[in-house]
Amino acid sequence: MNMNRPLTSCMITGPLQNPAPDFSAVASSLRYQSGALGMVCETGENAGSNAAFSFEFKTPHTSPVICDVTGWDDASRHAPVTENIIQAACGLMSVHGRASGKSQALGVNYVSTLTAILALQGGAAASIGQLRGLSLSNSSVSMAAAALLSVGQYIAGATVFESPETLRPGIIPQSACPPFVSADGVIFELETLDAGPWQKFWTEIGVDSQIAGKGWTAFLLRYAKAIAPMPAELTATIAKFSYSHIAELCAVTGMAICPIRSIDARAQDEDCKRVWLQGPWEFAFEPALKNTPPSIAGNDLPLSGLTVIESCRRIQGPLAGHLLALLGANVIRIEPPGGDPLRGMPPMAEGCSARFDALNRHKIIREVDIKSSAGQAEIKQLVKHADVFLHNWAPGKAAPLNLDHQHLAAINPALIYAYAGGWATDGAAQSSGNVMPGTDFMTQAYSGVAKKIAETSGTQGGSLFTVLDVLGGAVAAQGITIALLNRCMNKVGGKVTSSLMSAATLLCSDDLQKHYKPQNADAISKSIIDGVYATKQGYCAIECRDIKTAERLTKALDITIDTDEEGFLQHLSGLLLSKTAHEWIAILEQADVPSAVVVEDLTDLQTIPHLQPGLTTGSYTKVISPWRFK
Amino acid sequence: MRITVNIPTILRPLTNNQKRIEITGLNVLEVIDRIEQQYPGVKEKLVTEGQAHRFVNIYINDNDIRFSEGLSTSLQDGDSITILPAVAGG
Repeated sequence: MNMNRPLTSCMITGPLQNPAPDFSAVASSLRYQSGALGMVCETGENAGSNAAFSFEFKTPHTSPVICDVTGWDDASRHAPVTENIIQAACGLMSVHGRASGKSQALGVNYVSTLTAILALQGGAAASIGQLRGLSLSNSSVSMAAAALLSVGQYIAGATVFESPETLRPGIIPQSACPPFVSADGVIFELETLDAGPWQKFWTEIGVDSQIAGKGWTAFLLRYAKAIAPMPAELTATIAKFSYSHIAELCAVTGMAICPIRSIDARAQDEDCKRVWLQGPWEFAFEPALKNTPPSIAGNDLPLSGLTVIESCRRIQGPLAGHLLALLGANVIRIEPPGGDPLRGMPPMAEGCSARFDALNRHKIIREVDIKSSAGQAEIKQLVKHADVFLHNWAPGKAAPLNLDHQHLAAINPALIYAYAGGWATDGAAQSSGNVMPGTDFMTQAYSGVAKKIAETSGTQGGSLFTVLDVLGGAVAAQGITIALLNRCMNKVGGKVTSSLMSAATLLCSDDLQKHYKPQNADAISKSIIDGVYATKQGYCAIECRDIKTAERLTKALDITIDTDEEGFLQHLSGLLLSKTAHEWIAILEQADVPSAVVVEDLTDLQTIPHLQPGLTTGSYTKVISPWRFK
Repeated sequence: MRITVNIPTILRPLTNNQKRIEITGLNVLEVIDRIEQQYPGVKEKLVTEGQAHRFVNIYINDNDIRFSEGLSTSLQDGDSITILPAVAGG
């Protein structure tokens, strides 16, 4: 199996095999990602503290970059964290809870995986900075910053002045939202990007057109608002038919359908092991001599002076461009004549959709009709002097536009051509997956992510929080940064492809390891206590990963673990009702127990002092760069 | 038929920043044509080749006109039309 691993001459060193428990999921993802990049992974002796985790990013051409990973952005805050505590404290539980019935954890190591992506990317970016003349020796990210980044669009929608979204956990009964269930008990997602197939499908099922229309409005909402309140008639009527009959109607009407599959089922797919071994990016490089990037100095960021041309819609691609802009790149965003329709999607802040602005505010906009030859010529002119071209068009669209890698590399051999797609890095494009639109919820269903989330959340399917669009955007930006580093070191240009599917594979990499290399899989211990508890006022999340932490909890609460587990948890739940969430957290933090007040209203985030370093207020609350370089 | 049209922020530069317009018309297209007479430029933002743009949703009292008769959908006195950008997918 020939895989192009771009960083075989590079190395990361640190306590990657024996990190402090709070950072074990971050370290596990770092090991997987660095291995897939071909990096040597050298495990140090020092386990580090629970407050921070550090590793060094080394290349043959730069001095080591120390990459710090902390729980919080606020350096003075040392309260212990876990994946679920950060999800509670930074609004992820709130967004996931909108359609899953209540504030609760996603059930996947989401923030840890995203933090690992950003940490590795920070090391690569700082190394690029050094090669361009900056004296950077340190890059730091926090789990809190990663979590806030992931819900940045939702925070934007909740904090505008005019008509903010006020969507709280449990606002929609879980049973009212997709996925759907057939008469023979198959749970499945439906998808279409146009109203036509939706209308035809529900007409065939026997639902009144006006009710189908109300369902369409709700269906459109889910990407933006993480809710999808379907009229009851839709879910009730479809439940009368067998899955095979529904699938036949989908084929006739142009609707896409995908059952909620397990990770075990995904692991059996022909392409899955290859994607897992390869990592979430596919790289291809060619020599390109004239590619010395301009030198930079002073307070410049690592990618300052580099130009990215972005032709992307919706979330995944625009987020990738946004992250590159936060690293200093000049991002020129191509929009259709008249501008991207999402600019007008309420709620609005100063004349622009707040959600749209959250992903695109640092970009220069060029309106270009890419279907016209004049528009294609304009893009080629831009590409001539650019460093990166990034798109997320549907499969097969680039070549007819003469804007595929081959055409653009001929104009600019040093270009990094990036595709942030839906389904796969290439082999999987031939699988049955590619007949479905490569959207977040279909990919969650197909990849096994939805089922894993459902098992933890007590729901039928995945999250209506755009789990994979965000992770896929981060993976795309990371792949581009790594390709740029390789370009700086080895005088190459090339192509990097990533997808929602490859991001899903990354998110499930530990589960897949159990299938493919069980002898190397870490025994992942289940937390002793891990839950969201009602208090006298508000909810608190508590997670004790080991017995020592559980003992600190019981000591702080003056209770004993002398009954069976169920009895203990019942006792704990009862006791927690006697004080407010804020009062309990003050006590538990003092005892060094990972815990947090569960943020249910996203507007609260901007008032929590220790989250302030990651946010700025204005016409809406913006999440700032997750990286700090020095 | 007296109709209230809620104008989205993105079109307000064309309507002297008015959030709502009171107008008459028997169906959606007629209403759009009458708005166009008062505020030129609105129609091309909403209609292509006789149909509503793919990326625009037009609602009559919360009902998407695509699921009725499209731009030919007839209106009742007092109906409210809302125009919203629409993009599916993530």
